[in-house]
Amino acid sequence: MTRRTRRVLVTLAIGLPLLAALPWIASPVVVQFGINMLIMATLAQGWNIIGGYTGYSSFGNSVFFGLGAYGVGIAMAQFEQPFWIGLGLGLLLAVIFALAIGLPVLRLKGHYFAIATLGLAEVVTAIVSNVPIAGQNVGLVLPLLKSDVLFYELSLGLLLLATLTVFWLSRSRFGLGLIAIRENEEAAAVMGVNTTRYKILAFMLSAALTSLAGGVYAYYITFIDPAGAFDISLNVKMIIMAVFGGPGTVLGPVAGALLLSVLSEVLASKVTNIAGLFFGLVIIVAVVLMPRGLADLLQKFRRSGWRYFAQNIRSHRL
Amino acid sequence: MLLAQVLLNGLLLGGLYALMALGLALVWGVLNIVNLSHGAFIMLGAYATYFLFAKAHLDPFLALPFAALALFMLGYAVQRGILNLVIRGPMFNTLLITFGLEVVITFLAQFFFSADFRTINPGYAGTNFDVGGLTIPRIQLMAFAIAIGLTLGLWAFLLHSRPGRSIRAVSQNLLAAQLYGIEPRRIYAITFGLGTAMAGVAGGLYGTVSQINPYIGTALTAKSFVIAIIGGLDNPLGVIVGGLFLGLAESLTALYIGPTYTDVASFGILVLVLIVKPTGLLGRTA
Amino acid sequence: MVRTLLFLALLALASAGWAESPITLGASVQLTGPVANTGRYYKDAYEFAIDRINAAGGVKIGGTSRKLALKLLDNQSDVNLSVRQYVQLLSEDKVDLLLGPFASNFVLADSAISEKYQVPMVQGGGASDQIYSRGYHYIFGTLPPASNYFGTTIEALSKLSPKPAKVALLYADDAFDVAVAKGAREQLAHAGFNTAIDERYTSNTSDFTSLLSRIKSSNTEVVLVAGHETEALNFIRQAKSLGVSPKLYSFTVGVPSADFRQALGSDANYAAGMTAWLPHKSLKDHWFGDAEQFAKAYQAKYGYEPDYHAASGVATVEAMVKAIEAANSVDPRKVRDALAHVNFSSAYGQVAFGPTGQISLPQTMIQVQNGKVVAIYGPSGALGKLQYPMPAWGKR
Repeated sequence: MTRRTRRVLVTLAIGLPLLAALPWIASPVVVQFGINMLIMATLAQGWNIIGGYTGYSSFGNSVFFGLGAYGVGIAMAQFEQPFWIGLGLGLLLAVIFALAIGLPVLRLKGHYFAIATLGLAEVVTAIVSNVPIAGQNVGLVLPLLKSDVLFYELSLGLLLLATLTVFWLSRSRFGLGLIAIRENEEAAAVMGVNTTRYKILAFMLSAALTSLAGGVYAYYITFIDPAGAFDISLNVKMIIMAVFGGPGTVLGPVAGALLLSVLSEVLASKVTNIAGLFFGLVIIVAVVLMPRGLADLLQKFRRSGWRYFAQNIRSHRL
Repeated sequence: MLLAQVLLNGLLLGGLYALMALGLALVWGVLNIVNLSHGAFIMLGAYATYFLFAKAHLDPFLALPFAALALFMLGYAVQRGILNLVIRGPMFNTLLITFGLEVVITFLAQFFFSADFRTINPGYAGTNFDVGGLTIPRIQLMAFAIAIGLTLGLWAFLLHSRPGRSIRAVSQNLLAAQLYGIEPRRIYAITFGLGTAMAGVAGGLYGTVSQINPYIGTALTAKSFVIAIIGGLDNPLGVIVGGLFLGLAESLTALYIGPTYTDVASFGILVLVLIVKPTGLLGRTA
Repeated sequence: MVRTLLFLALLALASAGWAESPITLGASVQLTGPVANTGRYYKDAYEFAIDRINAAGGVKIGGTSRKLALKLLDNQSDVNLSVRQYVQLLSEDKVDLLLGPFASNFVLADSAISEKYQVPMVQGGGASDQIYSRGYHYIFGTLPPASNYFGTTIEALSKLSPKPAKVALLYADDAFDVAVAKGAREQLAHAGFNTAIDERYTSNTSDFTSLLSRIKSSNTEVVLVAGHETEALNFIRQAKSLGVSPKLYSFTVGVPSADFRQALGSDANYAAGMTAWLPHKSLKDHWFGDAEQFAKAYQAKYGYEPDYHAASGVATVEAMVKAIEAANSVDPRKVRDALAHVNFSSAYGQVAFGPTGQISLPQTMIQVQNGKVVAIYGPSGALGKLQYPMPAWGKR
């Protein structure tokens, strides 16, 4: 374990400065791709906390993203405040929202929790499209900042923050409590885990990271409207990336986000008008063949080779 | 008078809503699959009915059984060939795979049917009659009757027929059902097929009152969720209550609060019902 | 020896080919996804215009002529993807200049990229006034301002006698339709109409029965709807089934397109609308002769009648070509400055951009009469006879 940790640390020590220097080396397209990839990875990581570790598959994380985006949008477009204030506002909105709805909604289990958060996402979208200060359904136009370097470094910083948070989580008492809740909530409660508080804290943490990503994204894209900011398919993408990479692991969601971003970017530009079809097929095939994600695949593929896929099907089919 | 007319509109709409959600509730309740591609199957049913009407010149209401049959076979194949493979995996995997199915079905629909808007528009479409000052649209009334009839029919089927009893047995206790010689793979496929067949009929009826394009599915899935949750998953009658409730709620919201608030109302109700009584208004208490 | 000569000859040929490398125009449009129904018109329009211009010799720069090429990407009706694709077009595919996507919200987001990279974008798909109120320099548009869509319609209404007593204004809540409604509201008040119902509805609403029942019970005579084509289709079908027949209804979109009339059949009759473009002989064009010939050739190629979206898309390509020729360069900044001064007649109309970059063209009020689009009222006055009031549904 310590050797592995050291290896990871060495990789990071070399990799991070390289990643940070990317905007000065690579073409604008790569930088832009980097920004999107890093934001998606942050979102997947944020979802990982509530979905991967705690086992509550939230469809409401796109709400946090949207609130973060609207925090920045409202502060900058309506009150001409600096970006940082907007980021803070979005963070505050998202965390308060997570706290307020977490209490009733986190009592629900399984599909009911998923559907309730899905419903909440719809409600918030519909409310925001009626709120004048949020530009109703027309949206808000933010000032244009012509510096992709700044957005890149911000996104990189965010992903780092998110991943470190998850890393800390994975070896803290708090994180162990969350895993206990995922595996068996009643047992966790018996063991003395204050499940309600743990779940709400995890939800708030997830909301905080997700809203920051939303804020950066809003400033980067310069135009937000409810359909774009509270996009439920974005939430589905977070889940797919986290699940594809390996939910409940530290680096799985990042790897999943990287791989799937590359894939969808290549598809969208090379086979442009059948990209949508491929996206759907990849999801179906991935869920059938590797339902436990990349992390599991890497671990077990070496041992069982191609039979790994057949074993997966055998163990999950009816 | 206005209020009475709006209430009537809401009720008629609610009947169609109930039928839309029926398949979703059945599949969710029995197989524990939350089918995010449900709306896509409704869309396919609408196209099936449209093509039978426009190309084979069949009356849309006569075309419905054929659409239902086609959708049943499709649903049977999807469950047998894909969903049965992952059904014992982690919970969100079935969510993801049905989302992927939705993407694929929608894409193929737009590829083969084009993004043109279609309507099922027989000569008698849009005709109506007056009863005491209220205008009653004929097609909506027929759609309402069929929707309620099918829902009741499904209820009777589940209660009194052999395959219906097998389906209920599977939903209550899979292991015990297997011991009694029920082949779950087939029963699962039949159940899912029944769900998509209902979706197919709902789609055909939807096409006679609204327009069809490859992208109508997502919104219809969301509506079906609201109805299934309001009504509960325990029995098809709950879905009727859920559908009528939603139809009325939407119509009244549009009239009194404003048409931009219908989504706030319907999804707000969904969340409230889930928080207060997750088993639905008619469901058993937890 | 022979081989070397052959090789040299080939090399010469190849380099001659390269010397006239095409000017590439880049665009990301909606070929799939919910907006594809209209988005696809822009693909056809761009390709149609570019083929015609190339067949006529291409673009003349510095005494030589260069061909046009198109790099088109599908944004799957996803705004965020379209923004990324425009960056890709500029920095990876190295396109020279940009054509726009369809719809105001897409243009709003995508024009930030053209502004950031200082490469002009000429777009024929977004009309919202918001696009031009940000002080951007690199965005030009061939759709006239949303706020004036109902202008000629309201003028025609005020000429009716007796003047309609009650008007309803219904509009979807997106950028374009809100701008349309804002303009129409002011024009209605100015013309002295009583706007009995003024209601915003959610985009993609499929149920209009509550609104229709209100229209019926309040005896509203004229209904103006600013929305999307799906909504117009549902509105008309539900109006029929509830027996709601005001004296006139008018829709911002749908009415001029063949798709709309096909979906509704005879129920499309009497629906009024507007278009910035009608295929009229008087619109002369350097490449197509005139608008009528343009429409014929277009229909022959694609199998459907072009509506104003298609014509507007063609006009964006023509404007770009005119500007390149005027600038005598493909340098984005020079082309941008030349675009600000283009002024030419096209199959779409007179193309010239105002100080904010938007074209100014009058809308012509139209009505579907016996399955055909008939011009009713233009900026110079009446062009045809409005069928008013429209007969009740049972009496058609």
